[in-house]
Amino acid sequence: MTALRADAAVAWAIARKDARAELRGRQATVSTLFFAALVLLLFGFALGPDARRLTEAAPGLLWLAIVFGSLLSVTRLHQLEVEDGALEELARYPVERYAIYLGKLLAGLAAVLVLGGVLLPVVAILYGISLDDAWPALVLTVLLGALGLAAVGTFYAGVTVRMAAREVMLPLLMLPVVAPLLLAAVKATTAALAGNPLGDLGAWLQLLAAFDLVMIVTGAATYGYLLED
Amino acid sequence: MPQTTIYAAPRTREQTPPPAVATHQLARLFGRSAALAGVSMRVAAGRTIALLGPNGAGKTTLLRILATSLGPSFGRAEIEGIDLASHPNVARQRVAYLSHATGLYDDLTAAENLAFAATLRSVPEPRAAVRSVLAEVGLTVDADRRVRTFSAGMRRRLALGRLLLTDWSVVLLDEPHAALDADGMALVDRLLQRWHEAGVTVLVASHQAERVTRLADGWARLDAGLLIETGGSGVEADAPDLVGVPAKVGRA
Repeated sequence: MTALRADAAVAWAIARKDARAELRGRQATVSTLFFAALVLLLFGFALGPDARRLTEAAPGLLWLAIVFGSLLSVTRLHQLEVEDGALEELARYPVERYAIYLGKLLAGLAAVLVLGGVLLPVVAILYGISLDDAWPALVLTVLLGALGLAAVGTFYAGVTVRMAAREVMLPLLMLPVVAPLLLAAVKATTAALAGNPLGDLGAWLQLLAAFDLVMIVTGAATYGYLLED
Repeated sequence: MPQTTIYAAPRTREQTPPPAVATHQLARLFGRSAALAGVSMRVAAGRTIALLGPNGAGKTTLLRILATSLGPSFGRAEIEGIDLASHPNVARQRVAYLSHATGLYDDLTAAENLAFAATLRSVPEPRAAVRSVLAEVGLTVDADRRVRTFSAGMRRRLALGRLLLTDWSVVLLDEPHAALDADGMALVDRLLQRWHEAGVTVLVASHQAERVTRLADGWARLDAGLLIETGGSGVEADAPDLVGVPAKVGRA
């Protein structure tokens, strides 16, 4: 129990450190949010003024924007570790490797949640969607989706952190893996916005939760190998 | 050959304690080139040893392997009898390492960087420890400045300060005098002296041979990834037949 508490303290310290650095470099955070909002806006232009078409496409476009934004966020969180050998130093602490993964995951989750929290109202305004009764289900969907994206993103950012072309490699590796998450999150969001007429919201949320669990366990079990040079 | 098996075998109380640092045929390849080509050496506890050699000799690679930052391609390394490959986290509790890179976070302040290290090293009373270390390395007035605004010398001082947050059995220093002014260099010399008096084993790689050998008990010279010479006390090659090989082969 004491060991678990110590590991939790390590994960929290890493997440807090990342969040602090991220907040100090506000320019990058704001840029990511603007980029994701711009993606939504451009998708809107591309689809044209047909209100019904926009409403139908909104869940998919929302999650694409969140996925693209999360790519930038997790890349930046690992970029912090590349500067001046910080990753090597981090790997030298006598702490469990899974605690380091969970710390980075928590920081990534916070970043993706902020992204989701900002983009939800943006998509509602841009595409004329009413979120009134859908809020609780949407919040749960965003929470589970963000957790999965952070879990996968943290793992693959660890895989690519030492690569010269990491900005290109991360999407190449991460996007195919998040396809099931994207599908489940879009379906859950669609069901939530429509008032769950088919009763399938729970099933999609369960799929999201299962995806999250598998990815977190895989990431925690293997992240230590990624830290080795 | 018998010497190489001593440290792997179970020890009894009557046997001599293990050396602070022991390597056996330690090698590291990067692609086809060998940065370290089979180094076997022992360093006695409490000694300060200068690692000498030209650029590319393998000094940094050796230190990074001993610091658990890098895995060996072949061979074995031990810290106080603990095999680094089997028990890296136990070794990490005992070994400090100052590398070329400072490992600092630019967007955190000096105090926050130290506090983060103190948390991950489970330092008791971290705030007091951070204050004390900042005073020790002469950065008290800069405690709340972001590291991004620091000069190279200040970053080096802060990285040195991180080593002072806790006690160590073995300290590994890679070019500790680099980027420092006269006061900074004197600080490094003071710390070397303090660790020596405290019985800490120190391996210091430096191009400032005269400066570090003055403070060291012994020295080991590497060239082309091999240990070619040892001198003074506290360090010896564990496979004496290999000593001198690169001197004959490499310079032919």
